[in-house]
Amino acid sequence: MINIDKYAYASKLHQKNSIEKIAFAFITLCVCLWANSILPSLVILLVMTWVSVRKGGIPLPFFLKLLLLPMSFLILGVLMIAFQISNDPQQFVLSVPVFGTFLGFSKAGMETAVRLFFRALGAVSCLYYLSLNTPMVDLLSALRKLKCPKLLVELMSLIYRFIFILTETTETMVTAQNSRLGYSGLKAGYHSLGALAATLFIRAYKRSDQIYTAMEARGYDGDIIVLEEAVPYSWKGFLPAVLLNAFLIVSVLLARQYLGGLL
Amino acid sequence: MNSKRIPMIASITLMLVLLPKNVFAMHIMEGFLPPVWCISWGVLTIPFLAYGLYSLRKITIEFPKLKLLLAMAGAFVFVLSSLKIPSVTGSCSHPTGTGLGAILFGPAIMSVLGVIVLLFQAILLAHGGLTTLGANTFSMAVVGPFVAYAVYIIVLKTKGSRSLAVFLAAALGDLATYITTAFQLAFAFPDPTGGVMASTVKFMSIFAVTQIPLAISEGILTVIIFNAIMNYLKDDEFQSLKIFSKEALR
Repeated sequence: MINIDKYAYASKLHQKNSIEKIAFAFITLCVCLWANSILPSLVILLVMTWVSVRKGGIPLPFFLKLLLLPMSFLILGVLMIAFQISNDPQQFVLSVPVFGTFLGFSKAGMETAVRLFFRALGAVSCLYYLSLNTPMVDLLSALRKLKCPKLLVELMSLIYRFIFILTETTETMVTAQNSRLGYSGLKAGYHSLGALAATLFIRAYKRSDQIYTAMEARGYDGDIIVLEEAVPYSWKGFLPAVLLNAFLIVSVLLARQYLGGLL
Repeated sequence: MNSKRIPMIASITLMLVLLPKNVFAMHIMEGFLPPVWCISWGVLTIPFLAYGLYSLRKITIEFPKLKLLLAMAGAFVFVLSSLKIPSVTGSCSHPTGTGLGAILFGPAIMSVLGVIVLLFQAILLAHGGLTTLGANTFSMAVVGPFVAYAVYIIVLKTKGSRSLAVFLAAALGDLATYITTAFQLAFAFPDPTGGVMASTVKFMSIFAVTQIPLAISEGILTVIIFNAIMNYLKDDEFQSLKIFSKEALR
């Protein structure tokens, strides 16, 4: 389940300054949304895949598998957008009559859909680049540096740690329930899942009590102060982000001016 | 015409039958919304988050212990949303846990926990996205919890049983989330001929097929969980939970 997290710690890029990586992913993501066209999206997809696989050492099959993850949402969503209802069958490329009106795909609808499909793929690859190469701990310290509310970041870092405790507890309990045929039928399944969630909540509650006591005994007074590994950052680190996006923006503007059309 | 019609009908039927049921899960994926809508939904969410953080700060200054309880609750919602609800058709779907959280901790705090959980789902599970975080937070961590909490209080005030209140709160909270998501998609992609309303109908029709059964199963599940938790709550050990919603857990 938390495979992405494991790859992030093992990534060859994990030593790089996290703010540089956030800038690279996020600016490219914004440009991808802004451009909203096929070719730039494909370029972004390729660049992000190449950087993650070659520079970060993420296995290509894993990256591709991740890209397939949102595919069912994407295909269904895109089809819904391409799909239209109208009384006039002339505007459709492909249509069926239903109860006196027509359902079908128009040229404009399909164009929006195709652009959206590639835009979403490009955007998703930016997200994957970030999450596969930046461990959560680094992301949180970057958020702290970017002046995110302190309480929010602190809550996030606590939740991140607790997720693993609770996941482990859940896995143990699910194994125990399965070995007693807890999920053999629908009724048993609901019963087991209810018991599992309730017990998990109670365990979490008690655990938080114990952790608080332990932390208080060690001088906790509302702040968790940790030493962070200082990763030097330089203006050079922002160069890839600036160059890639300047190139994309200029070429999109040129293409819009002189070519128009689908690109 | 006829030669075109048959493959079309066949493909739509196949699409509806073969796709797994949770494909249109409530998170809008990364890159799906145009920039204008990403920003608008984000801006709309900020006041709720600010209020949630404000009340959170007040509570944690008074009772520092509760910060850890809240963090555990956030992790609980994350883990809960990765569990599978058993279902008849063998399709897989996941509980959201927002209804339960809203009843136990109040909707304002739930919206802060919700945005954190959504961010973690985007980064750790590749579910949802960064630019769509605002829209997803609005539907799942603002509308869902507030509707669930309002329903819960209303049913209790009209002397309905607690189980009924919990069931309706969770189920309607879920439905409100889906409806909001459908509207968000429709606003971003209005139908060229029918406008926003036609587009809402389109998106809503997929939700109706997949999400109504899901909302009902979430309702049933939440009742089971809530009753089990209430049994424990009689114990003195769990008094601090009542600080959050004195009204609801009386």
